[in-house]
Amino acid sequence: MERFSYVRAESIPHAVTLLNTPGVRSRVLAGGTDLVLLARENHDLCDRVVDITLVPELHEIRRVQSATGVAGDTVTIGAAASFSEITASALIRETAPLLAEACHSVGATQIRNMGTLGGNVANAAACADSLPALVCLDALAHVLTPSGHMAWPVAEFVTRPNRTQLPPGGLLTALSYLVPAPGSRSVFLKLGRRNAMAISRLTVAALGRMDEQGCIAEIRLVPGSATPHIHRFARTEAHMLGHEPTAALCEEAGQVAVAEMSEITGKRWSSEFKEPALQAMVTRALLSLFGLIANHEEAHA
Amino acid sequence: MAELKYVGKPARRVDALEKVLGTAKYAADYRLPGMLRARCLRSDLPHARIVRLDVTPALQVPGVKAAITGEDFVNHGNFGYPVQDMYMLAHEHVRYVGEAIAAVAAETEEALEAGLNAIICELEPLPGVFDPEEALKPDAPLVGQQPWDSPTEPRGNLLVKHIVRNGDPDPILAQSEVLLDEHYSTAHQEHAYIETEAALAVPWPDGNGVTVYSPSQSPFNDRGNLCRVLGLGVENVRVIQPPVGGAFGGKDDQIYQTTGQVAKLALLAGRPVQMTFSREESMIFSYKRNPMRVHIRIGADRSGKLRASKVNLVVDSGAYSAITPFVAWRGNIHAMGAYRYDACHVDTHVAYTNNGYTGAFRGFGNTETTACIEQAMDDLATRLDIDPIELRLMNCLRPGDETAHGQPLGDDVALVECLERVRRVSDWDRKRREYGAANQKSSVGAPVRRGIGVACCFHGISLGAEGADFAVSTMQVNDDHSITFTSGLTDYGPGSRTVFTLIAAEVLGLKPERFHMHRPDTDTAIASGPTVASRATVMGGNAMRITAERLNSLLHHAAADLFGCSLVQVLRDGELFIGPQEEPVSFEDVVNHAREMGLMLSAHGRWDAPSIHWSMEDGTGKPYFAYHYGAQVAEVTVDTGTGKVDVTGIWAAHNTGTVIFPQGILGQIYGGITQGLGYALMERVDFDQGYLQATNFDEYLIPTAVDVPDIDGHCVEKYFSPGPFGAKNIAEPAMVPTAPAIVNAIFHATGRRIPDLPANLERVLIGHDLRQQGSDRACKLGLKHA
Amino acid sequence: MKIEFTLNGHPASVEAPADISLLHLLRDYIGLTGTKEGCGVGECGACSVLLDGQLVNSCLILAPQAGGREVVTIEGIRGADGGPNDLQQNFIDHGAVQCGYCIPGMVLAGEALLAKNLTPSRSDIREAIAGNLCRCTGYQQIVDAIEITAIDRRGEARKTEVTHG
Repeated sequence: MERFSYVRAESIPHAVTLLNTPGVRSRVLAGGTDLVLLARENHDLCDRVVDITLVPELHEIRRVQSATGVAGDTVTIGAAASFSEITASALIRETAPLLAEACHSVGATQIRNMGTLGGNVANAAACADSLPALVCLDALAHVLTPSGHMAWPVAEFVTRPNRTQLPPGGLLTALSYLVPAPGSRSVFLKLGRRNAMAISRLTVAALGRMDEQGCIAEIRLVPGSATPHIHRFARTEAHMLGHEPTAALCEEAGQVAVAEMSEITGKRWSSEFKEPALQAMVTRALLSLFGLIANHEEAHA
Repeated sequence: MAELKYVGKPARRVDALEKVLGTAKYAADYRLPGMLRARCLRSDLPHARIVRLDVTPALQVPGVKAAITGEDFVNHGNFGYPVQDMYMLAHEHVRYVGEAIAAVAAETEEALEAGLNAIICELEPLPGVFDPEEALKPDAPLVGQQPWDSPTEPRGNLLVKHIVRNGDPDPILAQSEVLLDEHYSTAHQEHAYIETEAALAVPWPDGNGVTVYSPSQSPFNDRGNLCRVLGLGVENVRVIQPPVGGAFGGKDDQIYQTTGQVAKLALLAGRPVQMTFSREESMIFSYKRNPMRVHIRIGADRSGKLRASKVNLVVDSGAYSAITPFVAWRGNIHAMGAYRYDACHVDTHVAYTNNGYTGAFRGFGNTETTACIEQAMDDLATRLDIDPIELRLMNCLRPGDETAHGQPLGDDVALVECLERVRRVSDWDRKRREYGAANQKSSVGAPVRRGIGVACCFHGISLGAEGADFAVSTMQVNDDHSITFTSGLTDYGPGSRTVFTLIAAEVLGLKPERFHMHRPDTDTAIASGPTVASRATVMGGNAMRITAERLNSLLHHAAADLFGCSLVQVLRDGELFIGPQEEPVSFEDVVNHAREMGLMLSAHGRWDAPSIHWSMEDGTGKPYFAYHYGAQVAEVTVDTGTGKVDVTGIWAAHNTGTVIFPQGILGQIYGGITQGLGYALMERVDFDQGYLQATNFDEYLIPTAVDVPDIDGHCVEKYFSPGPFGAKNIAEPAMVPTAPAIVNAIFHATGRRIPDLPANLERVLIGHDLRQQGSDRACKLGLKHA
Repeated sequence: MKIEFTLNGHPASVEAPADISLLHLLRDYIGLTGTKEGCGVGECGACSVLLDGQLVNSCLILAPQAGGREVVTIEGIRGADGGPNDLQQNFIDHGAVQCGYCIPGMVLAGEALLAKNLTPSRSDIREAIAGNLCRCTGYQQIVDAIEITAIDRRGEARKTEVTHG
């Protein structure tokens, strides 16, 4: 007796139709790395899985010219693009290297070939590696339902671990971000208990830019696996904005980030470790971002 | 000595072809018509009395063909060595989470599931004991059945005690110029063989016997247990070992339960029965490396000369004894390290608890104790301001020295050579200076620091005082001129099959391709004790050498007869036999002539280990007939901001004696070191109230290819005369010095000692472990995935 | 449901439930047991196969996902004569095989890498096989075997034989 049946979507509209068949509890099957594990635990997960991985549009990674020419171009990534496809994309490596690094840090070859960006976002694990990078890019999550298209900033789309705003029957179709202004640099650091196939203990995604006076014109900082809700650390950013980046400022920012984390989480069983580790990682990310220490090429803390 | 042709030359592993093609069939790959699947009902409580157990409802389920409990076996299925405290299926009590209570065989997965669910099983929870020191207190709840209780010496949860007694260290320690007094601990470790356990039992057509295909390391132990619990003679039970997907000591003890279960089910159902395991079930029910708490006191002169040592070990055996009494004994013997002392005492206590259970795992007690004593030595070196290698050279065992047990050593001791080799090839002196200096400097942000550390070991060869130590091999020339041989010792990955082939080829002067080793089979091989203790090369290799020499002698007699000359006039040139008239004759022709002469071209050979003796009461003697020696240097980077350690280099020098199979010995060095790296940094089986917290590889972490550096392995080939062609061994000792070398390197980088393994992120960064509140969740889910 | 796909270059058609894994389909419905189960959760790589040329964990792929696509298992990696190909022979020659359980996955991971990159560094090779756990070999000789195969396939001369101790 099958626990669920399988159907393959041929296009995005077809997928939405399949997900909204009355009386049939359907779930999206993308990489399968999360779904198959969930189905292993829960034998009544759904009536049917809808395989979206062979819809070509859902793999597209494109640059869309800005309509007005004032705000920047946008890069859209089909939700079924695999971590491998994203890591290999010249467009993403050029416009948002931290996202390429975040995707490269996931699992190992097999998981990167199978896992998708959309799956990572929709599953919204507390330690999902793409989320801090996407939030750092102020990325949008695009959803299609029978009623039409909706979009949320990823930071609002993912509300808590394993919880998103995805409406029932909705299909996450793409993630998109505005290409950061010229001169932007980014960093992604990941701490795991080993160097591959490791759940992130902590991650830090950072993006920044200096002005002609050598002061910080833009700074975005998103720790991952640090707080239940993944978001930009506004207080830490404010501490840095407009100042000249120095080693001392970066160390202070590390301390502010810890305070910002603790305010949200309180003292947890892991705080005694996470506080010093986060401080060190934020400081290091900022030092690297502003060229005060050698760039970290690997996606490791 | 004549130049060797096959021994020591690059060779191809004889059983590699089927593995790279994917055609090798492991136990879980077998498919037979009519085959039933089987699974066990397992305890989800760490300690309970079985109030009610009734499997008859399972038999009512369509598709279920047999269902058994412990009562289906002779004497309740009681077995176990050296302590007979285990059961094929639980008897009256369950004593750890995952213990098997009943087993069912059915035609389909659905029927199996329904059959298991139909079993009536009521458990009454009993208080559990989860700490070995707590378990040894007089008022602790009892875990086991105290098999050795006597009215005069009630043992409670004490399974066994061991001692070493040499002189009296107390007065010496009291007057030492420098005294180290420290506590260390090691954790449970999971074998994590990539192949989980499996077994297939095929009942014989005449209904009188059964063949079991089982990846157990020791098929004769398996057969012995089956005969006992099934009530069958050895002529009615056959055990065959298929290719095994890794064992490391872990496919003994529990695999006998699995084979007993499938054999009984198969005999009842009259059909083949196969049992396979998910990773979760395997991790939950299988035994682990025992954790140890180690208290070390060493007294030394300020010059660095060690004077006395006192070591206390507390070992957690878990719910059953398995081979842990011997593991603890080996740990007891090696606890003081490979050094000379004026006096030395070791006291070892092994306790029953309800934390799963423990048994053999590579290194067998020495991995645990060396991890501690080598940290203590490093600590002493720091306090004395003496280089750690220098301190070891000052005190380590040399040829002719007496061990701490009072055993005089022979001239095969090569520890100094190992230490000097790793010192040289790792560029030790320069790195100690440079990294040490760099680590004193301050830095922007939390820096990544480098460190280099060393550890060395000795490791008793073969069984020592555990039991009779011999091996037997047989060989024959077949009608088609191929040569087949058997060994009582098996090859579950390390490469002994190839070692035996090369020895045979060398002795007989024939190409290795002519030789084929029989699949280990209790019907064709001759019992040679368990395949453990890194004994295959010396014990099995010697037996093979003797066997091949006897066959060679027969062939030479035939050739002499063929040439009409005397035996000494028969010469060899490669595979050819040359007579006085210099006429070359092929091996095939010599064989044919031997047959015409009526000679039986078969031989067997037995080799017994030199005698040893150990007094359990006095704690002195000659525990092993010889020892392996080794030294390793590890280089690390430590991220002082996050606690992340990366091992950037390992140099190993091991006293292997003559190398027989070069690729094989290096593979064992690299593999053993990688397990040691995991033991040092990331592997920890976490029990909470008897429940395993991690039940799969997502949370039980072993090193991946990017966690381990290229390793520089060296063999110190000091000739070992008792061994075949001068060979010693490598399998276990390759792992023994690794963890302390790494932890000592972490100290060099950071100034922080990590006395409790593993040196995980938390211990390295903040100096102690952090644990989340544990739960029974992983186990309960895992037992559903069986 | 009926699942039709190309398996090791030949058409395959199997009737199987939709909710089983590709691993289960290969081992139990088609009878190809070369692909192994080591963990069932995509952590160990023993179940690796190539799906449209991509290395994936078949324990996490649903069988119907293979429909209309190309699957290559270890049974499909052979030399022209049906024996071992160059990579497999190098595994044998360079000590890369001990218990053998991880080897089918490792061979496929090696093939997947060499299909994309014939000049991998040792570090590239380690990264390529980082999703394949091995408990016996310590990985080093597996890396050697893949590295030497890359050299051979580039048509270059081997500089030195892999050194031994």
